[in-house]
Amino acid sequence: MRAAVRTGWRIGAAAAALRGRAGRPLSQAAGEGGTGEEGGGGSGSREAVERLVREHPVVVFMKGSPAQPLCGFSNAVVQILRLHGVEDYRAHDVLQDPDLRQGIKNYSNWPTIPQVYLNGEFVGGCDILLQMHQNGDLVEELKKLGIRSALLDAEKDEEKK
Amino acid sequence: RSFASQTDGESRLARVLREKFPRASAIKVVDISGGCGAMYEIHIESEEFREKRTVQQHQMVNQALSEEIKHMHGLRIFTSAPKP
Repeated sequence: MRAAVRTGWRIGAAAAALRGRAGRPLSQAAGEGGTGEEGGGGSGSREAVERLVREHPVVVFMKGSPAQPLCGFSNAVVQILRLHGVEDYRAHDVLQDPDLRQGIKNYSNWPTIPQVYLNGEFVGGCDILLQMHQNGDLVEELKKLGIRSALLDAEKDEEKK
Repeated sequence: RSFASQTDGESRLARVLREKFPRASAIKVVDISGGCGAMYEIHIESEEFREKRTVQQHQMVNQALSEEIKHMHGLRIFTSAPKP
C-alpha cells in the first residue's frame, strides 16, 4: 500500500516537473488525487473550488469566456443565460487553468465542461440547462436567487400586444 | 443513417448501458462525431430514473460509463422514466 502511494507521488511529481509547475499531481481517476492530496491548496483543490462556486449566485465553469466561448456547449450555456437577461455572473475559463479544469470535475463528480452552479449548488451542464430553459424550471430557479428572468418581461410584452 | 449499421463504439456503449441499467425500456447511442468515437449522444429511458432529479439521472449514466468517458471529448445525455 505505501509503495503504491509513493509511486503515485513520483509519477505525479514527474508530470508536474514536465509542466514546469510545482503543483500537486493531477489524476484522472475519480477519487484518486482527492482527499489525500488536497492540502496543497492549489487552484483545483476542494477549498479553492468551494470558494469559487460560492462567489456569486450564478457561477459557470466553461471553455473560453462569455464574450468568446471556445466550445459549442459552453456557448449554449452563455446564450441561454443571455436569453434570460442574466449577464452578471462569474465565468471561469478552465482552458486557462488545468488544475481548475480537473479540480472542478473532481468537486462535482461530473466529467464534462461546462458546469453551471446556482447558489453554490451544481445544477448540471449544457443539456440540463437547456432542458430547464425549455420546461420553465430555469425561470423558477432564477427567481429563487432573486433574479427576474428577462423572458418573463418578454411574455408580458406579448400579452400587451 | 441506416439503423442496421452501428459503429463499434456505439455497440459497446449500448452493451455497457444494458448491463448497468437492466430495467431500461429504451437505450439509444449515437456517435455524433462522424464515427470517430469522440462524442456521443445517449438516450435512456428506464424505471431506475423515476423520482430522481435530472442531475442525479445523468450522474448514474456518468458512473456507468466512467471508463469509456475517459476516452471521449464530449457526451450528451438524455434520460427519462417511462410513462406510467
